[in-house]
Amino acid sequence: MSLKPEVPIFEVKELSFRVREQLILENVSFEIFSGEYIAIIGPNGGGKTTLIRLLLNLEKQSSGEIKIFGKKLKDFKEWYKIGYVPQRATLVDESFPASVEDIVKMGRVARRGVFAGMSSEDREKVHDAMQKMDILDLKDKMVGTLSGGQRQRVMIARALASSPKILILDEPNTGVDMISQQRFYELLAKLNREENITILFITHDIGVIADDIGRLFTINRKATICNDPKKLLSCDEVSDLYGIHAHSLANHKHEH
Amino acid sequence: MFEMLSYDFMQRAFIAGLFIATLASISGTFVVLKRYSLMSETLAHSALVGVAVGLVAGYNPLWIAVVVSIFSAWLIEYLRSSFSIYSDAVLSIMLSGSLALAVIIVSLGGAFNNSLFSYLFGSILSVSDTDVYTIVVFGSISLVFLLLFSKELYFIAYDEEVAKTSGIKVKFLNFLLVTVVAIIIALSIRVVGSLLIGALMVIPTVAALQYRVGFRNTMFIALFFALFSVIFGMSLSYYFSLPSGATIVLSVIAIFILSLLINNRR
Repeated sequence: MSLKPEVPIFEVKELSFRVREQLILENVSFEIFSGEYIAIIGPNGGGKTTLIRLLLNLEKQSSGEIKIFGKKLKDFKEWYKIGYVPQRATLVDESFPASVEDIVKMGRVARRGVFAGMSSEDREKVHDAMQKMDILDLKDKMVGTLSGGQRQRVMIARALASSPKILILDEPNTGVDMISQQRFYELLAKLNREENITILFITHDIGVIADDIGRLFTINRKATICNDPKKLLSCDEVSDLYGIHAHSLANHKHEH
Repeated sequence: MFEMLSYDFMQRAFIAGLFIATLASISGTFVVLKRYSLMSETLAHSALVGVAVGLVAGYNPLWIAVVVSIFSAWLIEYLRSSFSIYSDAVLSIMLSGSLALAVIIVSLGGAFNNSLFSYLFGSILSVSDTDVYTIVVFGSISLVFLLLFSKELYFIAYDEEVAKTSGIKVKFLNFLLVTVVAIIIALSIRVVGSLLIGALMVIPTVAALQYRVGFRNTMFIALFFALFSVIFGMSLSYYFSLPSGATIVLSVIAIFILSLLINNRR
């Protein structure tokens, strides 16, 4: 009896996206499996955010196919399995009337249904998410009064509250100081390692993340997948895009 | 204070007014947070087209106002969600276009009189039993929808895209919200007037936001401000024979200025 092959979380086949005549993404194909830790890098305008928006059904592809948990995008209904933290997440409207707990509770809305109040399970998940992100002591604070790093943890807690199988983050360090960034990467690695949450995120900080990530996607209209990010220089596309940076990264890693 | 409540017309005006204050402030919280403030003004002007048709054709203006307002709301939401056009410009065009159309209709129909004036600025004298029933029935239905979907609407107001990616039916709920707002606005023009209802919807929430408290408390404060403004404004209207919409709106503006001063001194 053969083992049933694992269904990928995302299965992308020959995905292309164009705006009018301009080709933004061309024939992108990949699979993402449960438990992976993947970073996406690439130049500005290379199509990184577009790719994530296509995966989340926020844009319609021009051609190709996307499957989520084995289902076609249009048939997929269990969106709570995907936690999303957008690029501008930390740039909140400071006057918006929302406490930290209000925001994290949003992560349970889609799972609760129209007529349901907060169940004990909902409260527990909200509490757990805040605890994991170390923001329990901030729960009654208005989100507009928090620092960039604290807001970042609130937004991830919101995504975690729905008990997602995968977390997708688009340049989550926008507007966040260096110390918080370091702490953030440690948290992501911990979530991946201890909670088995699949992580997919866009970043510019290839030097910082190379130790933890399992695979590196380089998106520059086409996708190049680097399966061994610890040897960044062996990945041609990364070297082409980040030549000097990749060299300095290699030296930096060698010193440690 | 209680002497004025011995009159039937004042009882009707108070029932309608308090109901409208509740509806306007609760829906207004979502309207402000979604940055739809100009939409409420536009819908109020669209409702005036319905009033004009009703006055000229001899139908109940309130009913026609509800229908026209709902259609306008759907058109605005469709344009906003389907095309990348400047939504504030669309609202501006529809706002002035609706007012112009209403004026032409009433002018051609020879109905440019005190009756129209009362729909523009509100009048406690003009609230009929039928108006009260209409406001209570349709207002209650609207309120139930707002409260049922309040957690989803709040999420959408905070971050529409993330709400969508978590599986919330954003498009449907946006249409539902504008429909409910359109109904509330049309129902309100008897008491507050079409030129002034936008203020009753928006200002209580903006005043409540000055206190920087969470969502639920912001909504409660806005509700309290709206109820107080309606009671105070309608009392002024009764004692000084002034249009009720104007006195209500000036009352709520006074509360807003006070809230601003109190919170800036903290």
